[in-house]
Amino acid sequence: MREPLGRTVVRGMRTDSLEGRPAEDAVLVERAQHGDTDAYGELVRRYQALATRTAYVITGTSAEAEDAAQDGFTKAYFALDRFRTGAPFRPWLLRIVANEAKNRRKALGRRPTVDLSVAEDRPSGDTALSPEAAALAGERRELVLGALRKLREEDRLVIAYRYFMDLSEAEMAEALGVARGTVKSRLSRALVRLREVASGEVTRDG
Amino acid sequence: MGKTLSDRELEQALTEIGERLPQPTRDMWPAVRERIDKRRARSWWAPVVPRGLLAPIAATLAVLLVVALALTPDLVARAAEILGLRGIQIFRVTATPSPAPTTGAVVTFTGQRAASVEEASRVAGFPVRAPTALGTPDEIYVDAAPVRITLVYRSRQGMPATALPGISALVVEFRGRLDQAVVGKTAGPETHLESVPLNGGVATWLSGQPHQFSYFDPNGNFQAETLRLAGNTLLWEAGGITYRLEAQVTKEEAVRIASTIP
Repeated sequence: MREPLGRTVVRGMRTDSLEGRPAEDAVLVERAQHGDTDAYGELVRRYQALATRTAYVITGTSAEAEDAAQDGFTKAYFALDRFRTGAPFRPWLLRIVANEAKNRRKALGRRPTVDLSVAEDRPSGDTALSPEAAALAGERRELVLGALRKLREEDRLVIAYRYFMDLSEAEMAEALGVARGTVKSRLSRALVRLREVASGEVTRDG
Repeated sequence: MGKTLSDRELEQALTEIGERLPQPTRDMWPAVRERIDKRRARSWWAPVVPRGLLAPIAATLAVLLVVALALTPDLVARAAEILGLRGIQIFRVTATPSPAPTTGAVVTFTGQRAASVEEASRVAGFPVRAPTALGTPDEIYVDAAPVRITLVYRSRQGMPATALPGISALVVEFRGRLDQAVVGKTAGPETHLESVPLNGGVATWLSGQPHQFSYFDPNGNFQAETLRLAGNTLLWEAGGITYRLEAQVTKEEAVRIASTIP
């Protein structure tokens, strides 16, 4: 099982902060580099959801995640003069935020699992489903979420970048700080582990 | 549920989880701006010197430095040391790792070979600079993640031998900062540390048997860096790039070589 999953994931749900706007980002970054703090504020607003989600996948608590995201934005601001002109801002930022979140988690004392949870009250796409199907989908989410909690930080992060943040392969490489060729194998390894843990749960519960 | 999930079901579940992840509850910018302002204010002079006085004080210091320069070279080093040390914290440790073993005549370097400074710059993503005083580097190595450039100078006439056979000098460049509150220096007990003026800034001269030093990487993380030759080393920073020259030369000679970086 080299590539356990195809590339047919549903896209286009969250467009607020996820659309790549490289040209605009570059303009804002340049203005921020020249001391325009409002331009940086714009970038913060644009990517605060993405940054918080990234941190959340690592820390597992919303409060810690928001705090890590804010510190990440602060660090990124002071690192702006070292930002390479023309490079994409989004993965560069996420790398800093993820680092911040990891350090925080380390400082709090490492535990093997995180308390990752998601809102279950949101109807979203489930409205079209029958009550039985909706219940089944909910159970599957709970199962996968339970497995995610037990994965290693790096595995969770690579899965999150692909499925939660919808990053491109190039962006994932940049955000993870690895070569582009490594992304695919990392992702598929992480998915294999996720599936292993999840099926372990199935057998135990079922 | 007695069966495993299909690929499609797994992907679907992941996508749905992604949609349900918590969102930030409010605009983060005010909080971030506050943190930025706070960190700005943490600069060492802030609690002592009102902002309006910064320029006059800097000017006075510059004049003093020029006067000192005119007086005696010894005083120059001393003044630089005083000025430089305001931004430097020194961490002394009781033990440091041993230098890389130097047995055998073959000296190896990690990373990929680059044919020229231009090529190295392209790969590194920042302009690699070589001091003209040493001529063309004999070999250039590019390490990835984190990116580090090593310029290798084999035997040079008039240059003393180093701990590595056949090597007279190394210049190492990477993204990192030595400035702000910390030029963290995990100097061994044998290491002597001195600030010296260089190109209008301050460089740090390590002599004795330095083995490592510390810096801040672009993410602001504290990193330790091992010195390859464990000998005299000049460290400085320019434009977000940390440079170091390792060679068994005098402090004055090291500064002269470093000042020929274009």
